[in-house]
Amino acid sequence: MAKVLEGPGMGLMKKWGIHVPNYVVVTSADELAKLGQANDWMKASKLVAKAHEALGSRFKLGLVKVGLDLNSAVAATKEMIGRQVGSITVKQVIVSEMVAHKEEYYCAVKSTREGSEILVANCGGIEVESNWDRVKRLCLEVGQSPSPEALTKLSKDAGFTGALAKKMADFAGKMFTCFDNEDAQYLEVNPVVVRESDGEPVALDAVTLLDGDAKFRHPDWNFQFAAEFGRAYSKDEVEVMTVDSKIKGSVKFIEIPGGDTAMLPAGGGASVYYSDAVVARGGKLANYAEYSGDPPDWAVEVLTEKVCSLPGIKNIIVGGAIANFTDVKKTFGGIINGFRKAKGDGKMKGVKIWVRRGGPREKEGLDAMRALKDEGFDINVFDRNTPLTDIVDKALQKQ
Amino acid sequence: MSILANKDTRVVIQGGAAGVNAARRMAEFCYLIKRPLNVEAFVYPPDAGKTNEISYGSGLIAIPVYKTIAEATKNHPTINTSLVYIGADRAMKGTMEALDDSHIKVVSMITEGVPEKDAKLLGAHARKLGKVFNGPSSIGIISAGACRLGVIGGAFDNLVLSKLYREGSFGVITKSGGLSNEIIWICSQFADGITTAIGIGGDAYPGTDYVSYLEMFENDPQTKAVVIVGEMGGDLEERAAEWYGAKKRRVKLIGVVSGFCQESLPKGMKFGHAGAKEGMKGEGSARSKSDALKKAGAIVPATFGALGPAIKDTYQELLKSGQVKEVVEPATLPKLPKTVEEAMKADEVMVAPLIRTTISDDRGDEPCYDGYPASELINKGYEIPHVIGLLWDKRLISKQEAEIIKRIMMLSADHGPCVSGAYATILAACAGIGLSQAVAAGLIMIGPRFGGAVTDAGRWFKYAVDNKMSVDEFLGYMKKNVGPVPGIGHRVKSLRNPDKRVKELVGYVKSLNIKTPCLDFALQVEQVTAAKKDNLILNVDGTMAAVLVDLGFPVDSLNGFFILSRTIGLIGHWVDQKRQDSRLIRLFDYLVNYAAPKRREVPPLK
Repeated sequence: MAKVLEGPGMGLMKKWGIHVPNYVVVTSADELAKLGQANDWMKASKLVAKAHEALGSRFKLGLVKVGLDLNSAVAATKEMIGRQVGSITVKQVIVSEMVAHKEEYYCAVKSTREGSEILVANCGGIEVESNWDRVKRLCLEVGQSPSPEALTKLSKDAGFTGALAKKMADFAGKMFTCFDNEDAQYLEVNPVVVRESDGEPVALDAVTLLDGDAKFRHPDWNFQFAAEFGRAYSKDEVEVMTVDSKIKGSVKFIEIPGGDTAMLPAGGGASVYYSDAVVARGGKLANYAEYSGDPPDWAVEVLTEKVCSLPGIKNIIVGGAIANFTDVKKTFGGIINGFRKAKGDGKMKGVKIWVRRGGPREKEGLDAMRALKDEGFDINVFDRNTPLTDIVDKALQKQ
Repeated sequence: MSILANKDTRVVIQGGAAGVNAARRMAEFCYLIKRPLNVEAFVYPPDAGKTNEISYGSGLIAIPVYKTIAEATKNHPTINTSLVYIGADRAMKGTMEALDDSHIKVVSMITEGVPEKDAKLLGAHARKLGKVFNGPSSIGIISAGACRLGVIGGAFDNLVLSKLYREGSFGVITKSGGLSNEIIWICSQFADGITTAIGIGGDAYPGTDYVSYLEMFENDPQTKAVVIVGEMGGDLEERAAEWYGAKKRRVKLIGVVSGFCQESLPKGMKFGHAGAKEGMKGEGSARSKSDALKKAGAIVPATFGALGPAIKDTYQELLKSGQVKEVVEPATLPKLPKTVEEAMKADEVMVAPLIRTTISDDRGDEPCYDGYPASELINKGYEIPHVIGLLWDKRLISKQEAEIIKRIMMLSADHGPCVSGAYATILAACAGIGLSQAVAAGLIMIGPRFGGAVTDAGRWFKYAVDNKMSVDEFLGYMKKNVGPVPGIGHRVKSLRNPDKRVKELVGYVKSLNIKTPCLDFALQVEQVTAAKKDNLILNVDGTMAAVLVDLGFPVDSLNGFFILSRTIGLIGHWVDQKRQDSRLIRLFDYLVNYAAPKRREVPPLK
């Protein structure tokens, strides 16, 4: 799943005929001031300014300002740009018009095993969170589109009446069309409000999760996906992602600050069991990582260098199951080169390495790892006869 | 018995290189269980009409490649299974094609990174047709002793170690490819091995899930227990628990789930598999899955490490209750033939080399000439003539010798467009012939009448000097046994119109104060012959030959100096014509003496 920020998310909704407030995304206060001269709505309406970054709790952080005129929006933008929140620097601000309204509603479309589900409620904002039973659902099988009748029924079931029932049904229909055509996995508008000026439902806030794997058929997805856990990707994480996008197979790397057990396991499945084992033994993970699908040795070498560069690590877990087709000798060759470079940079002092692996050319690979002992590495090497996660037990016992 | 893949499974593989690699792995398995290869055909439009060569034992089997599934199943009507190795952007179309073919009942998709919507559409379509769509991102399916689909099971040695050559009693279903192999291995070490192992893929919405296969295992009497390896995200494990708890089941269910670490990690963190992600409201967590399985009566070891002992306990119970019997292993198993390289490395075979070389070796990181690394020669100031010395005469020549060779080459690099070699190259260039062929056309001209007299001249001057002949003895010998003296005589140059190149070379060599017995002898010969006839002078071929023999170069290499130098000129002529975009040329009639019989009538054929 790939999270999309509000600006591009609203852009996609607008593309499919959903009313959204006027908005601009700016990178400086000057830019906003100039846009203010060019766009009448910015002078005519009250404005909202929000930091346009993958940050939770923006309101509490003072990164959402409401009821502004253009001058105070420019001032708010000036104040927000460059603010440092954890690892994120605010680089963009989204400024949109405030839409005068009375009621707030809720609409979402989510992916299910069978296809998708359209959710509608006649309450919105934080009210819907505490009244989840008021959310009504319409389940759809994959390949199926909702009929106007089914949408109207959904709208009426949710408690909408009269002309509004029809308008909410239309709104939900457009949400589905956007979801279906944009390979979305989750779309949520909370709140949907009825604009006082023309009585049309408008999406005031958008949560958009797209299927990153479908990017190949969406040339207009010209935006970057945002990190999904409330912080920006680090330089090393981005570097590994860049390598990952270029190669056959995959390499993955996410830093977890404060940990002392570094992970360098093989396999999307096994890597999670290794992480579980560390947590279960009371260890503190310094990162998540995995390589799989017989990646080239240079890619594994880059990953290894990043893992060895994690601060304050005491153990590196080079685990892995019995590979199907990943060449153990070749991938271990990459890890060994990475270890040597790290040692040359003085990074491996006091670090213990734990290896367990099987698969094509396992003997050659494990022998090469064992030979690192002669180069002064503190390394312990085990083969397939040692159960998968036992090296984690051994590593954390000895501490 | 087994499920999904058995002895009657006949396969078409959709895709290119990855599919061919899978076929090779499948052939290894077929060889191990002594059955014919189960791959009938490939479908890969770019290679349609060709065949892919798959090793089987020490032989090769040619498997045809077709453009469409329909062509493949028409020619191979026993095909009932397709493996999809097509890129994510085209996988949907190819897979639909396979599902829609009436011969095919099972489609397993190996492709990773397939859009979720495509996977759902394929799953729904397969269910509508009553077929199995396994994957995407599946490592494959393997039934011990019967059938392998994809690379699941790993290398040949691992197939043997994991006892996949005969069936056991455990079914395996995993999302992860790497772990499927690990569980197969564990089942073979802690119990009697597997019946069938299936990788369903780590995507959020795979085409078939645990329940689809649990139902099949329940109906397979050979399978006594099923191991499922799950991970956080989605609801597949909960559904498996629901199925297991719904009524009394014949098979025992053993399950582990990964992702407990999620509880102490940043929310929303992405793991290796697309589907491995906790829901926004905590659903699909490892704990909820593991609890659901326990509640349904499944055996749920606390950690992955405890899985082996749990499988062992289950197996012991099955043994005790008489549901399974101890397995008797076959006495011998086929061994995969080694490649020649592997066998040589293990000192198991001796090979008589086909060729022998004594001059160069580029098996390391750079070429070595007669043992000297090229870069070191460059860095220590050696030049082209030294490389010639190393490769032609296996010795490092001196600076002085190198200077002589350099001068010889500079003097013979080109001799204008009219001589045979250059003319032939130009003619070829004008006919649009490429560089290497046009230069070769020029080189072909080098022979007894043009440029090719160096070796012969050197040979006879050396013969005379070695045998201490006088000039008269030599000329007499040549007249009687050989003919005209090679290296003596010129078409245009003469005593009165001397060849400046010869003068230059002789002057330089004589100025060096080195011993030049051949050159001295050749000059004496010239004095006698030129006195008889004005143009019987020592020509440039003869001069080069005498000097090079004096430097110690082997007689057989001497023509090489002319060939090498003149190649510089020939390349120049070709490039020159190319640059001018010269047109095709032909001889004018007036340049030909037509001496053939006049036109006459053809007599009737007898």
